[in-house]
Amino acid sequence: MLNPYFINIIILVGIYSILAVSLNLVLGFTGLINLGHVALFGVGAYTSALLTKAGAPFIVGFFSAGLTAALFGFIIIFATKKLKGDYFALASLGFAFVIGSLMLNLQWLTRGPLGIVGIERPNIFGFVLNTPVEYLIFVIIIASISIFAMRRVVNSPFGRLLHAVRNDEIGLRVLGKNTFLIKIKTMIVAGFFAGLAGSLFAHYIRFIEPSSFFLSEIIFVLSIVIIGGIASISGSVVATALLLFIPEILRFLPLQSNLLGAMRQIIYSILLLVILVFRPRGLLGRIDLE
Amino acid sequence: MPLLAQLTVNGIIAGSIYALVASGFALIYGTNKFMHFAHGASVTFAGYILFLLLERTIVPFYGAIIITIIFTSYFGLLLYRFVYLPLQNRKASTVILLVASIALLILFENTLQVAFGPEVKTIPYDFDNRTFTIFGGTITILQIFIFITALLIFLFLFAFMRYSNLGKAMRAVADNKELAAIWGIDSRKIADMSFLIGSFLAGVAGILIGLEQSLVPTMGTMLIIKGFTGAVIGGIAYVPASVIGSYVLGFAENYGVALLPSGYKDAIGFVILFLFLLLKPEGLFGVPKGVKSNA
Repeated sequence: MLNPYFINIIILVGIYSILAVSLNLVLGFTGLINLGHVALFGVGAYTSALLTKAGAPFIVGFFSAGLTAALFGFIIIFATKKLKGDYFALASLGFAFVIGSLMLNLQWLTRGPLGIVGIERPNIFGFVLNTPVEYLIFVIIIASISIFAMRRVVNSPFGRLLHAVRNDEIGLRVLGKNTFLIKIKTMIVAGFFAGLAGSLFAHYIRFIEPSSFFLSEIIFVLSIVIIGGIASISGSVVATALLLFIPEILRFLPLQSNLLGAMRQIIYSILLLVILVFRPRGLLGRIDLE
Repeated sequence: MPLLAQLTVNGIIAGSIYALVASGFALIYGTNKFMHFAHGASVTFAGYILFLLLERTIVPFYGAIIITIIFTSYFGLLLYRFVYLPLQNRKASTVILLVASIALLILFENTLQVAFGPEVKTIPYDFDNRTFTIFGGTITILQIFIFITALLIFLFLFAFMRYSNLGKAMRAVADNKELAAIWGIDSRKIADMSFLIGSFLAGVAGILIGLEQSLVPTMGTMLIIKGFTGAVIGGIAYVPASVIGSYVLGFAENYGVALLPSGYKDAIGFVILFLFLLLKPEGLFGVPKGVKSNA
C-alpha cells in the first residue's frame, strides 16, 4: 500500500480534489463555466513559490496563495460582469491566456519558460515535511478541511441560493436577491481554495513552469468536474481519483515514455466527450449539464 | 524605413494566416452559433494529411492538395455529425458545445502526437523560394500566394454570403431558425454545408500554413486562438469582418513587437482578445445580439 508510487498518486488526488471541488462550486452551483480556473491554481502556485523563495515562511506563502487567487477570482468575475454563457466562458479562457503569457514574459519575476526550481519543502512552525508520507498526511488534512468547508458553503442557505442562480437567475432577481453579489462571493471562495491547491502543488512538485497551467490542464480539471457530475462534491473527489489512476494502466503498455502525456490527454478528452454526449449528469451528479 | 516596411510585410503575412483560419471558424459560428474550437484540429489535420501523402505515397503535389482538401472537409462534417449534432439534439447549451470542441481539439492534437511523434515535420515540397523586396521589406513567393489566397477567400465569402442562395439560406438560419424552416430551408442541411465549407477553408489554411511554417502536432491550438481572436476583433458571426479582424491582429502584433520585447507577441494578442471580449464582444463590425446578459 505505502509504496512511493502509490503515495505520489494519492497526494495528487488530494491536491486536484481541492481544485476540482472549487471549480465545481463555480460551475456546478452557479452555472458559470469558468475556463480560467486553472489560472487561479497557477497564480496560487506562483505566489507561494515566489514568496517562500524570497524568504517568507511557508504558512505565509500558503495563505497568500489563497488570498491572491481569491483576488484574481474577484477580478475575473468583476471584469466579466456583463457577459453571459459562451462569452463568459471565453473571457475567462482569455483571462487564463493573459495570466499564462504574463508567467512566460515577466521573466524578472517568474523566470519565464525556465520556471521556478528548488521550491522549498513546507516548514510548518519548524516542522519540515521531508518525506512523501508526511506530505501525504499534510495534504489529506488540508484537502479534508477545504472540501468540508466548501461542503458547508453548499449546504448552507447561501448554497441554496447558488442552486437558484444556476436554475433561474431572473427568478431569483425578482425575489430581490443580488445574484451578481452571490457570484462574486462564490468566485472569491473558489479562487481561495484553488490558490491553496496551487500552493500545495508547487511545494510538492517543487518545480513550476507556465505550461503546468495551460489548456491541457484546463481540460483535465474540467473533465474531473463534468465526469464526476456537476453540483456533486463527492462526484468530483471520486472522478479526481479515477482520472489520476486510469492513466496508470498505460504504464503496463509498451509505449514510449514521451507519449505518455499525450495518451493521458487522449483518455481525458475521450472520457469527457463520452460523458457530454451520453451521460450529461456525470457519474454521481443529479443534474444534467445543459 | 526598411524596419517599418518589414513589420508591415510581417503583419500582412501573419494577418493572412490568421484570416485563413478565422474565415472558416466564423462561417461555422455564423450559421450554427457555437464555437468550433476543433477547427484548429482540422487545420492541423490537413497539414499532416498532405505530409503523409507526399512523404509516403507517389501522389503528385496537386493531386495531394485535392485529396487533402476533400478529407479535411469531411473531417469537419464528421465532427459535426458525431459530436455536435447529438449534443444539439439533447438541447445542450452552446457552452457545452464549446467545452466539447476544446475536448476535440485536445483529442486530435494528442492523437497526431502519438501517430507522428512530437517533433517538427517539414512537408517535402520545394515551393519556389525566390524573394521580393518591397520598400525594404522581404517577402517570399509563397507568402505572396498566401496573401492573395486570403484576399480571394475574403472576396469569395463576401459575395457568397451576400448573393448566393446557399449563403442567403445560411444567413437566414443564423438569424431565425424557425422562420427559415417555414420558408422551407432545411437547417440540418445548411449546418452540414457550413461544416463542409468551413472545413474546406481549414484544408486550404492547413496546406498553406504547413508549407510556410512546418508541422507540429500542437500548432492547431495556437492557430485557432489567433483565428478566433481575429474573428472576435472583426465580429465573430460575420465572415468578411473576421478576415479584417485577423489583419488588425496581425498588424497589432507585429507593430507591437517594435515597441515591446519579442516575447510579448502572443501576449499582445491575448490582451486584445480579453479586452474585446470585455468591452466590445460583438467586434468592430458586429451587431450586439445575445452577447450580454440582460442585467
